[in-house]
This record gives sequence, C-alpha cells and structure tokens, in this order.
Amino acid sequence: MKKNLYQLILPAVLALLPMAVKSEYFLHLMILFLLWVVIGSSWNILAGYTGQVSFGHAAFFGVGAYTAGLLFQHLQVSPWWGMALGGIVAMLIGLPFGAICFPLRGAYFALASLALGEGIRHIATVAEGFTGGMMGIMIMPTFTSKAPYYYIALGLAVLSVLSIRAIINSKPGYYFVSIREDQDAAASLGIDTTLYKNISLSISAFWTGMAGALYMNYMGFIDPNVVFSLHDYSVMAILVAIVGGVGTIYGPAVGAFIMVAFQEFFRTGFFGLFDYLGKATGSPAFTALSGAVRQAHVLGFGILVIVVILYLPNGVVGDWEKIKRNVFRINPAG
Amino acid sequence: MDVFLQTLVAGILKGGLYALIGIGMTLIMGVMGIINLAHGQLMMLAMYVTFVLNTMGVDPYVSLFIAMPLLFMLGVAIQKFLLNPLMKVETILPENQVLMTVGIGMVLTEVARFVFSSDYKYITTGYADRTFYIGNISFSVALTIAFVIALSFTAAMFWFLLKTDLGRSIRATAQDKDAATLMGVNTGRITVITFGLGSALVAAAGCLLAPVYYIFPDLGGPFTAKAFIITILGGLGSTVGAIFGGVTLGLAESMGATYFGMEYEDIVGLTIFILVLLFLPGGFKRLTKV
Amino acid sequence: MKGTAGKAFVVVAAVLSLVMAASAGFAETIKVGVLLPLTGSLAKFGEIEKRSYDMAVGEINAKGGVNGKKIELLFEDDTGKPDVGRSAMEKLISRDKVPVITGGYASSVVAATAPVAQQFKVPFVICTGSSDDVTEKGYDYVFRVNPPASEYPNAVKSFLQGVARDVKTVALLYENTAFGQSSSKSFEKDAKDLGLKIVVKEGYQAGAIDFTPILTKVKAANPDMIYMVSYVMDASLLMRQSKELHINPRMFVGGGAGFTLPEFAKSAGDASDYVYSATLWVDTLPFPGARKYSADFRKKYGAETEYHGAEAYATMYVVADALKRAKSLTPKDVRGALAATDMKTAFGPVKFVSYGKKTQQNKLDTYMVQWQKGELEAVWPKNVATKKYIYPTPHWDRRR
Repeated sequence: MKKNLYQLILPAVLALLPMAVKSEYFLHLMILFLLWVVIGSSWNILAGYTGQVSFGHAAFFGVGAYTAGLLFQHLQVSPWWGMALGGIVAMLIGLPFGAICFPLRGAYFALASLALGEGIRHIATVAEGFTGGMMGIMIMPTFTSKAPYYYIALGLAVLSVLSIRAIINSKPGYYFVSIREDQDAAASLGIDTTLYKNISLSISAFWTGMAGALYMNYMGFIDPNVVFSLHDYSVMAILVAIVGGVGTIYGPAVGAFIMVAFQEFFRTGFFGLFDYLGKATGSPAFTALSGAVRQAHVLGFGILVIVVILYLPNGVVGDWEKIKRNVFRINPAG
Repeated sequence: MDVFLQTLVAGILKGGLYALIGIGMTLIMGVMGIINLAHGQLMMLAMYVTFVLNTMGVDPYVSLFIAMPLLFMLGVAIQKFLLNPLMKVETILPENQVLMTVGIGMVLTEVARFVFSSDYKYITTGYADRTFYIGNISFSVALTIAFVIALSFTAAMFWFLLKTDLGRSIRATAQDKDAATLMGVNTGRITVITFGLGSALVAAAGCLLAPVYYIFPDLGGPFTAKAFIITILGGLGSTVGAIFGGVTLGLAESMGATYFGMEYEDIVGLTIFILVLLFLPGGFKRLTKV
Repeated sequence: MKGTAGKAFVVVAAVLSLVMAASAGFAETIKVGVLLPLTGSLAKFGEIEKRSYDMAVGEINAKGGVNGKKIELLFEDDTGKPDVGRSAMEKLISRDKVPVITGGYASSVVAATAPVAQQFKVPFVICTGSSDDVTEKGYDYVFRVNPPASEYPNAVKSFLQGVARDVKTVALLYENTAFGQSSSKSFEKDAKDLGLKIVVKEGYQAGAIDFTPILTKVKAANPDMIYMVSYVMDASLLMRQSKELHINPRMFVGGGAGFTLPEFAKSAGDASDYVYSATLWVDTLPFPGARKYSADFRKKYGAETEYHGAEAYATMYVVADALKRAKSLTPKDVRGALAATDMKTAFGPVKFVSYGKKTQQNKLDTYMVQWQKGELEAVWPKNVATKKYIYPTPHWDRRR
C-alpha cells in the first residue's frame, strides 16, 4: 500500500515540477537526469537482467542521435521524426552487434562491444561526406522553453522504465534472468538463448536510441566525439547502473540522479559556496578549495565508483537494506 | 619499394613497444580472467614518473629501474586492497572486477591531472630524434632501443614463467585456479604478484615510450585499447603471443596508414580484433600452443 | 542524533542566508558571463584566456569601470563538452541573469551554446570558437571577434602568390577534429584557386604515436609544400619525424593551432626551424596595446601568452565598450551597442560586419610567422614583418 502511494506521488510531483519551478537551469538538469534514467535502464535490461555487460552503448545512443541529425541534414526532415526512427535504427544496428558479440561470453563480450562502439565512432568521424565528420550537425532547437523537452524526456523515462518492468515481470524477463544465472542450464531447459539475448538487446538499443534522438533535438549539436564517446556514454551508462543498483528496476533511476547531482555539484564548486566563502572571509584557502573541488569532479566520480563497488556491490537500491542497517542504524525488525 | 620497406620497419619497431604494453595485460588476463581497463593509465603514471625523474636529470632508460618497482608496488596494492576483496562478495554481475578497474583508471587519470594539470609534458633527450640509415630506410634510434629492450623483457618473462617455481605457480593458476589451489599454490598471493608484474612491465613500456612521445593525463585510454587488442591477438597468458600480437597490430596500423589512409589506422586495428575474436578465439596461442 | 542534525540544519541555513546576502551585496557591479574550458583536456587554453579576461577587467575597473560601475566576471567551466557548456550557458542566463556572455573556446561547445544565446536573446561574443557555420545561421545575438577557421590560411595564400610562386604541388595533413576538417576543406579550395595540385591528402586521429607511414608516402610524392593542421604535440612529432626521414619540401607550413605555441619549438627542438605557420596575431603587430598586453601578461603570471589570450583580452574590451555605450543594461540594448562596435583593440580593429554567408563577424587579416633560431618571427605580409622570410627551407642535411 505504502509502495503504491509512492508510485502515484512521484510521477505527480515530476509532472507538476515545471509549473512549480521556474528555473530553466534546474529544468535542464532534470532533463539530463531523465535522459540518464532512460540510458541507465536500457543498459540494465541487457547487462543487469540478461548478464551481457556491454561497453558499447554509446553506439546506440549515437546512432539514435545521428538518425535525427542526418534526416535533417540530408532530407530537411524535422529532427523530431528522428524520435520515431532513432530507436528503430538503433535496434537495427543492434542486430549485427548481437550477431558479433553474443557468441562470446564474459570478458570477451565486453571487449567486443567496446570495440564495436569505438569502431562506429571512428567511422562517423571518417565518413565526412555523410555525417559531416567532426564538424558535426547543428540544428536550431524547436522550443525556447524547457518545459516541452522536460515532458518528452519524462514521458520517455516513464515509458522506458514501465515497459522494462513489464517485460522483466513476464516470461521473457524470467528467461533473461535464467540466461544471466547460467546460460548453459537455460539452453538445456530449451530456452533459445540467442533469441532472448537479441530481444533483450533490441529493447535496450531501442530506448538508448530514443534517448539519443531526444539529445539531438534538445542539444541542437552533435559530433562523433560527443555522442559516441566511450567515456561519456558507454562507461557512464555502466556507472549509472552500478551506483544505483544493477538488476533492479529503479536502480538506474537512482544512479542517474546521484550522477547528475554529483557532477553539477562538483562542477560549480558546491554551487559557488566555496567561492563565496573565499570572498567573504578573504581567505585564499577557500578560493583554492573551490578550484580544487571543480578540478576534482571526475576524480570524485571515480572514487564514488570504487567505494560503491567495494562496499555496496549491488548499488544503492540493491543494497538498500544494508544501508539502512549500517548508515541509519534502522533495524528492519524494529 | 622504399615506401613498403619503410612502412614495414616502422610497423615492426612500433610493434615491439606494443608487445611490451601487451605482455602485462596478457599476464593479468591469463591469470585472473579479467580485463584490466586501467592498464594504459598505469603506463601513463609510469611516464609521469619518468618525466619527474628527467627533470632531476635522470635518463629515461635509467628511470626504468625506478618506475618498474614503483608500479609493481602500486599494482600489488591495487590487487590486494581493491580487486581481491571483490572475489568474496556476492554480486549479480561477475564483471565487478572489470568495472572496478574502470573506476581505478578514472582515479589515476584525474590524480595525474590534479598534480600535473592537462598540459603536455615532454622529455627532450639527445637521442630521441637521432636516426641511422640502412640503405634508404631510416631507423629511429629510440624506437630501435625500445624494440630490443621489449624483446629481452619478453625473453626474460618467458624464461621466468617456464623455469622458476613462482613462474610455474603463475602458469598453474592461469590454467586452472582450483587445481592450483589444491596443489598447494597460494593463488591469492599469485594474483597479487601477477598484477604487480603486469604493472611493472607496462611501466617499462611507459619509460621507453616517453622519449619518443609526450605525456598527458588522458593518454591511458587508447593504450588500454591497444593492450587488449594485442592480448586477444596473441592469446591469453602467452608472452610469445604478445610479441606476435604487438607486431601484428603495429604492422597492421602502419600498412593501413600507408595503403588505406592514416585515418583508418584505428579502424584497421579494431577490425582485426573483431575478426580474431570471431574466427580465431584463443588467438595466436591456439595455433602454436605456446 | 537529532541534535546533530538540527545543528547541521542551522549551519546550512546560516550559510545559505549569507550567500543570499552576498548576492545582494554585489548588486552594483555589472556581471558578465564567461564560458571557458577550465578543466579537462582543453584547460591549458582556458587558463590562458581566463587570465587574459581577468587582466583586461582589472585594467578596466582600475580606470573606473563602466560608467562608474565595476565589471564582475562570472566564469563557468564548460569542460570542453557541449552538453556541459549548455548547462553552464543556461545557468548564466537563467540564474545569474547576465546581460552579455563571452568566451567560447571549443568549436563544438560554441556550436551547441550559440543557439541557446540566440533563443534567450542574450548576446554572446565569441572570442575563439572558429567553426564557420556559427556565424552563418543569421543569429542576431551571436558575435564573433576571431576570424572563422576557413580564413586562417588567407596569409598563406597571399604568400604563395607573392613569394613562393614556384610551389606547384602540396601535401595536406590534418587532424580529424572540427578545426582540422574545416581548415583542410577551405585550404583545398584555396589550392584549387591557385592552381596547386594536392598530391597527398590525409586526415589522422589526433594523438598518433607514429607518423612515419604517411610521411613516407609524402616523401615519395615529393611535394613542394607540406601544409599541416595539427595540435601542438602532433605538430612536434610531425616535424621531428620529417627530420628523421629527411623530407625536403620547399616549405613546411602549419595551419595555426599548435604550430605557433612555444611548446612546439621547445619539444621539436631544431626540427622546428624554418617552419611557417598561419596565425591570427603576434605581439609585434602594430595594434594599440599589443606589446603591452604580452609584456604585462608575462610580468603578472610569469608565463607566455599567445593569440588565444589576445583574443580573450581584446574581446573583454569589446564587451566593456558595448556596455559603456548601451542605453541600458538589458541584453537587448547591449546587443544593439555590440552591433555598432567600431574600435581598435590589441587584437586588431573590431567591427561586426556581414559578408558572404556570414553575419556579425569581425573581419581580420591573418599573418604568416616563421620559426627562426627558436624565435617566432612575423614574416608576412611585408608591412608587419619583423624578419625577412627564409625561403625556400634549407635541406635537412645542409643545415648548420
């Protein structure tokens, strides 16, 4: 009952947010957060539930973004059509991706997916005539206000999480998990492991591609290093899911929130707090500290990852009971 | 003909350096079955060590003897305090160790950026752009030295793994961890030593690369990628395979650059990698059994 | 437990109210937003530009500021990434409510942030980002002080027409970045106009270890000129390896970017001798305050500056000048004042004009410099030359 209440309140709060909060800047951060909910959840269905740890999700994100961008560039079609096509094209790219990677297991799968992601980035860079190369694709965003993008992102996030939840709780979802737990055993029970891995990959690629297409529409600029970035998308998708909780429905959403908040917090030096303290007290120590904090935003993230893997190997959501026990000292029995 | 020969020489010389980068990775992957995605970052750190020593007047080749033990210790610490504890933890994904190396790589890069900033550092030596000629073909002195040192390290590693007790224990752990444990090998200790050795070897590569290249915090990533390509080409745990993999990658890149165009350099490497994964799983090692 | 939480709350509340009080306290300053990469791989240039902005504002405020008000710079770190740049741009516009924004280093960041400025109708004065299309979209709130990438080789073109008329064949090497790809395209066009034959054209991934293969190819093609668009360390490796391979064209020319930096000459050693480069600025140019700027920079920070710093320094003066002339400090009036800019700066005359497809673009001459005995000398056009050009480049084995 309590859980159902949360499920009603949270979407309601999110839906009303743009009316309550007028800050465009805050909405921008929320849009980034929602995009990461989509990407993290998509990665999670393939890796967290089906056990195929992909290091190449930037490929799907980038393909989705480029679908929207290239439609505009070559056919002068509104990039919003990319929202319809981006996910599907990403799914199509997923087919050869799966054909190459799925015969491989464990570390080999991870390496092959990493290589494919990087390969696509290089191709997009070199194919100057088609993609515009590193000069990228630039469009004029449709809306000046953030609210429409926010609602589209919210819709995307809610749909992706709900659809993934529905699938996980149905028969294919059980097959996914059985493949993750023991692929050979799953195969011997008569599960077509290749088919179900491809289904999982298709869903994952589709939503990631949709996120990419929205990114193109929203940001108005893409180039291969931005949308096919190994570090900024492939690895970040993994980290978002790990921090939040691999193999849990809401873990990636929590991870996305932590990541976006963390990054912005560090980038702005705790929203200018240290700068201000430096000015107010006249002490150079604070100014130096502010500089150091800004410098350290990736460092902080790296340390967060290490700490999470060491102490919360199942992420914030997966190890929530442990956190409650150890940090808040709440005894679930009492 | 000159173009072909010069490309060949360039590819082989670069391949020697690649081999040294790959040996460390192949040991770690062979023994522990995990990809070390912080491998290039460890090399980057060794290059900074070389740089700092150089500002104090130490020759890059001498700093080999300082950077290698330092990185050995760092590798030992990483394995002991960050990777081994993960083996006991129950998680959904067995890849947690790999993901941990991603985190370690990020931390190493950012620590380097913090200390040295993003500026490019470089080492100027009297011999860095010295060359000698055989016919019309030029040989870079620094790369030739690197090639020779890489070969001798590989030979030493080969001997070590084949002839010493510790080396045999490492090979036993790589082949079958449980069996090795039953035979009385302290596999926990072996993994620690292996990670240290792997780090020391890639540190050597860093020292040799420093005079001919330059140093910046982000250089780790691309070299990590090269290291795993080499490892897959050569076969896990095979030192001879690493030489083969390194030279193959070096040659493929050079030939690709000359005959396809330099922008295809990385695509050539990745394509070979995927082809080997698909059609020759186990790499070169499967053909020769070494 | 509760007690500590309560105390923590009080502290947080106190700090927050202090922050609010502070923002009210600085109300009489004019805030100007500056978007620069202060961390990440481009931080080196971000730092030079930040220091130049700081220096310019220090000078302006020391002379009484703008109509009695002092300028306060709000630096935002774009980390060299477009999405972060966009967050930063939006923070400046919607939270800090600045009337004008300047900076903009990486082409990709500028491309992603210029539409934001345009949509919110806040003027954006770009000082460095050089991809051509930013000023080709008809944005009336976007101004650019530096020339676009396609114009960097203009001086090289006139040098080829005026001096190096015996150059017939060219090898073109460029890095696969926005700057590299667009520069190479426009150079290809220039070469065609001049009737030059491009014998080798190769892009490469920035950060390559070994350029021997393409340089071998270049050597076999034996061009009269090698034109390279490379960042500093690639530039250094290219020249060192050209020396190793004894490639002897009539001239080596760099297309701006890395070839003019002191690090290039230091790391390449004598391999950098006689190398030409296109550039936008050197401190010996006859612009008011150019020499003083670089001397002051050296004195204040103990480091060398270069053309990026000059762009930032001059752009700050352009912004301050517009703020002075603006009827009010609303973005709209500042935009109007910017459009009417006509002034001389340390970086050259600044006036935002329309030509070709471009709008609100400052049109500047470009220059040729040459490394001579470890010093960067202006050599072309003749009226600004500090030394006579050395042409053709001496053969490697006949040097010294």
